[in-house]
Amino acid sequence: MAERVRSVETDDSVPGREAEVRRREAANTERQERNRRTTVVAWQILLLSALLAGWWGASGRIVDRLFLSDPVSIARAFWRIVVDGSLWFHLRYTLAETFLGYVLGASSGLLAAVGTWIVPGAAPALRPLILLAYATPKIALAPLMILWFGIGIVPKVILAATFVFFVVYLNTMAGLGTVSGGLVNVVRVMGATPAAVFRKVVLPNAMPFVVAGLRITIPAALIGAIVAEFISSNRGVGYLINAASSRYRTADVFAGILGLLIVVLAMNAGVSALERWWLPWVPRERSPLG
Amino acid sequence: MSRPAPGTHVTTTGSAPAPAESAFVLEARGVYKVFVTRGRAGRRVMTALRDVNLGVRPGEFLTLVGPSGCGKSTMLNLFAGLTEASDGTVLHDGRPIRGINTRGGYVTQDDNLLPWRTTLANVEIALELKGVPRVERRHKALAYLERVGLKGFEHHYPHELSGGMRKRVSIVRTLVDDSVNVILMDEPFGPLDAQTRLVLQDELLQLWQGSGRTIVFVTHDLVEAIALSDRIAVFTRAPGTIKEIRDVPIRRPRDVFHIHEAPGFVEVYDPLWNDLRAEISRGPEPSVG
Repeated sequence: MAERVRSVETDDSVPGREAEVRRREAANTERQERNRRTTVVAWQILLLSALLAGWWGASGRIVDRLFLSDPVSIARAFWRIVVDGSLWFHLRYTLAETFLGYVLGASSGLLAAVGTWIVPGAAPALRPLILLAYATPKIALAPLMILWFGIGIVPKVILAATFVFFVVYLNTMAGLGTVSGGLVNVVRVMGATPAAVFRKVVLPNAMPFVVAGLRITIPAALIGAIVAEFISSNRGVGYLINAASSRYRTADVFAGILGLLIVVLAMNAGVSALERWWLPWVPRERSPLG
Repeated sequence: MSRPAPGTHVTTTGSAPAPAESAFVLEARGVYKVFVTRGRAGRRVMTALRDVNLGVRPGEFLTLVGPSGCGKSTMLNLFAGLTEASDGTVLHDGRPIRGINTRGGYVTQDDNLLPWRTTLANVEIALELKGVPRVERRHKALAYLERVGLKGFEHHYPHELSGGMRKRVSIVRTLVDDSVNVILMDEPFGPLDAQTRLVLQDELLQLWQGSGRTIVFVTHDLVEAIALSDRIAVFTRAPGTIKEIRDVPIRRPRDVFHIHEAPGFVEVYDPLWNDLRAEISRGPEPSVG
């Protein structure tokens, strides 16, 4: 029983001088790490302030206020639509469309990928069709969706779902394909049936890819819903933005965008939490987006 | 039991004739394996194994050595039922192997643990697949983990273990299944550092001794082969066939850390190396998939 994982900080069984040296080194390392973190945060704050200040300075001087608005007006406009409830009124519809489209697209993408994987020969047969559909600019389908499904919630949900479907499908397929033949063989020799191999090896192995697909499609679902709202609707944040823009109320446009941004960040945080809980076995670095 | 002992095939050992009931655990009779691959230059047909006759005795530790690409691993895959012989017969306990041989344990060079399972769950999987009740499989798995010093690491994931620990887990998970009487090991210690390798060789011998299990082991390392084996089968270069089978008369229990000094070591090593050198120096080997 040669090598043992020995954790440094729990080892108190060292004599005086060495203990002193260890304490000093540990303190140094901690200080360096803290400094590095502080530097990063300072830079982030600096960049954000520079951006906002530049914006504020340029607005009305270099660029017409009508086109650019400015951070202060946007903050006011945002506050107003929060307080008078119009943001929440519109956001409700957009969130519902996004959520339904996301769930529909993700679950059908996942099921379709699993189906394609299980049926022998299906993957190569379907490949050209999938690539063709994937290459089609989905935004161009939005007018058709409106034509087919009217201006209610349905076309928004479907467009959002198509944005999600292909990415989840292709990611899942890629993940299913990464399983190691050696691992599968070992488990087969242990007596695993093909179904058990899929359930206990192939599928869990693909999960990091599936989750990555679920993560990158969150903004995509929102884009789908918003685009459909732009084209034809009488409610939703897309409508809010569109209406404000057509009346040259630029601050309100940005306020709507700010609302969407907050939604995406919240959804991202949700998926991250889900990921940590779901995939505790993946060795992970800290993700830049939390 | 009424089956007559298969005695016609060749094992070139000088040991006493096998008593009637000691049929081989694993046996290859006139086995050929031909691979057909498709490359840029069209189809390539390659003979990996040519007329291999090999009997593995119950409870023995048999090692296959040979130049790389000589078909040693293919032989293990045939015993595991992962691939079928192109001609000839492969038998386990006297019965032809059809499909996957689930009474064999398979240990590969990569540890091939399931990264999403903890140490304990990785050891339990073979029992789980065979429907052993939860309490029983947990009990057995824990006992084996304790034997290899992994107590306290039951709930670690593979990426949190060292290479040697992962290897212990991958060995122990084949032993934990009582229905497995043959362990097939394909260069299991290849990726480990020299010290860990020796420690694991020692542990493997301790796990094997008295277990009644049969081990078929593949390695490039002649010293490892001598330290572990009862008999060593030397393969020719591809297409592989058995060139020689040599007994290792070093008494057990063996001290793998000082195996060079064991009486009889040199007497085994030199002829073995001569067998192998002849195969290696016969010009460049053809590349084998």
